[in-house]
Amino acid sequence: MRFPSRLLAANIWFALFAWLAYLVVITLVTVGIGVWGELNESVWEKAVQLTRWYALFVGVALVTEFLPLFIAHGQSRRQFGFQAAVTIAIFAPFLSALLVISFLLESLLYGLTGWTWALGQAHLFSAPTQVPMIFLEYTVMFVGWLVAGVFVSSAFYRWQGGGLLAIVPAVAIVLFVQATIGDKTPLPFISLRIGFDVADSALSAVLAAVGAFVVGLGLTWLIIRDVPLRNKVS
Amino acid sequence: MRIDIDNLKVAYGETVAIDSLSLRLDTGKIYGLLGRNGAGKTSLLSVLAGFRRHSGGTVLADDSPIFENWLTTREISLIRDAGETVNLGTVEDALYFAEDVRPRWDAAYAQELIDLFKLDRKKNVKSMSKGQRSAVGVVVGLASRAPLTMFDESYLGMDAPSRQAFYDALLADFMAHPRTIILSTHLIEEVSSLFEEVVIIDKGRLVVHSPADELLAMGSAVTGPAEQVEEFTRDLTVLGSKQLGPTRSVMVYGPLDHAEARKAGLETGPIAMQELFIHLTGGPAS
Amino acid sequence: MFDDRSPIYRQIADRIKAEVLSGALKGDEQVMSTNQYAAFFRINPATAQKAFQQLVDEGVLYKKRGIGMFVSPAARDTLRAERREGFFTDVVDPMVAEAKAIGIPLDDVIKRIRDSR
Repeated sequence: MRFPSRLLAANIWFALFAWLAYLVVITLVTVGIGVWGELNESVWEKAVQLTRWYALFVGVALVTEFLPLFIAHGQSRRQFGFQAAVTIAIFAPFLSALLVISFLLESLLYGLTGWTWALGQAHLFSAPTQVPMIFLEYTVMFVGWLVAGVFVSSAFYRWQGGGLLAIVPAVAIVLFVQATIGDKTPLPFISLRIGFDVADSALSAVLAAVGAFVVGLGLTWLIIRDVPLRNKVS
Repeated sequence: MRIDIDNLKVAYGETVAIDSLSLRLDTGKIYGLLGRNGAGKTSLLSVLAGFRRHSGGTVLADDSPIFENWLTTREISLIRDAGETVNLGTVEDALYFAEDVRPRWDAAYAQELIDLFKLDRKKNVKSMSKGQRSAVGVVVGLASRAPLTMFDESYLGMDAPSRQAFYDALLADFMAHPRTIILSTHLIEEVSSLFEEVVIIDKGRLVVHSPADELLAMGSAVTGPAEQVEEFTRDLTVLGSKQLGPTRSVMVYGPLDHAEARKAGLETGPIAMQELFIHLTGGPAS
Repeated sequence: MFDDRSPIYRQIADRIKAEVLSGALKGDEQVMSTNQYAAFFRINPATAQKAFQQLVDEGVLYKKRGIGMFVSPAARDTLRAERREGFFTDVVDPMVAEAKAIGIPLDDVIKRIRDSR
């Protein structure tokens, strides 16, 4: 079957262009701050915030766009679940790789201009050139957010307003995953330390990602395994 | 594709949409599925397509269960008004997806239909008019060549000329590639001549399943002087009656001796399928 | 296309009979296929099939396996004989009844028939 590759290819293709545009914007912002202000931190570290919301959105769209399409075309829910899992497993490292490139480019820019590169908070990496650790950290992050998106939108698809309840476990998944990569307060505008206190280490991050993948998609499967197709498309 | 439905029940919580429905549909026929709003048509079709799981009884397609049975459901196509088969980017994207998952997809035929309905392949489906979106659904439904193809009022958004083009295309393709087709519709007079058999459901139960011409032959209108008509139709199943001055016209259901009626000085005539449908499902809305 | 007064298949059968009677369809000539009839009249092919079956049963058409339907050589004569039998009851009697009902003297009717010879 050619389609899962299409689903993935479409997403990857779109993400690539979105990233290029984002790269331009962030670089301009960086240069702007460097020229007119005082630049002593990594801008990409902050820019990552938006990318994980994008991942969440992709997770949501996987269900709202493709679940009805799969079933309406005579594919099973099981097949959809499998395709969604494969998509997440490939799409997360792909997005992470884009961030790795972003950090390398940023490091190049800072090196040329002599600006000070520093991180604002704890991470699995401490320098923009630590490619394996950057790649690991953000792969883990994207897995968490993609899974959360798929899970929440499945619940909304099945129970409409009742899907609100799914936000609680989804937030827990995200917070837990973020906690293993140094981010104890991962939600914007919330300065309270509501995250989990887990030791930052590559091992715990990998375990958290695998856990989120298995638990999150497992819960999703319980929701979609016999979900009826809605009679009306809203 | 042959469908065997035995004692089917579909419930939404407390609400029962389909109850104790048993039905057998044969391979290679066009069926008309008629029912009022809320009669359970969409529920029945959704179960046949594996869109939802039934609550009781058995439903088999060529002796296989349907729900979550990929090898069977990919041979079943249900096109609904909701448009979930086509709501994906452009017309082209929707066709690519269908081509990928439908084993009998005919791309050349799909292109023919795209031309027939004057659709723009590059246009986003969600931004199309209702009529155009319906047409994309029709294209996907026909070009899938699924052994069980169902249209749930999905073509009602199309304008009259497009609907006529759809009926012609459906008929031509059905004759070239015979398969089981179910059409659910409100526009009964428009499509009734396409049906080989008619299934009427009401309040979740089967009312009639019979060959279309036999159903039509069951209904007659007896017209004449009021008294004679009353006399003649006394022991028959009367569906309804109308009176104009001294003339009375009574619609009866069941075998009728037309020669006998003419001998009594009465006129007999057929009833349109729509009239039969209305009277078999509880009479005109009050 | 149809008058809704009798089943479609009977209307198709009547149409073919009319064509045979008028000589538009000749003996041993092939008639259009059921599918062509179905497409033309926008009806289910099974319905068209029924019309053809009725005509085969009545001896108007005959079937050549794998080729199609043909007009029986004797069809025209048979149909004419049948119609002749019913002519007075089906055509003349109602006409006379109508003439009486609307007050046309039968002599006028006879004159008209003579004149039209």
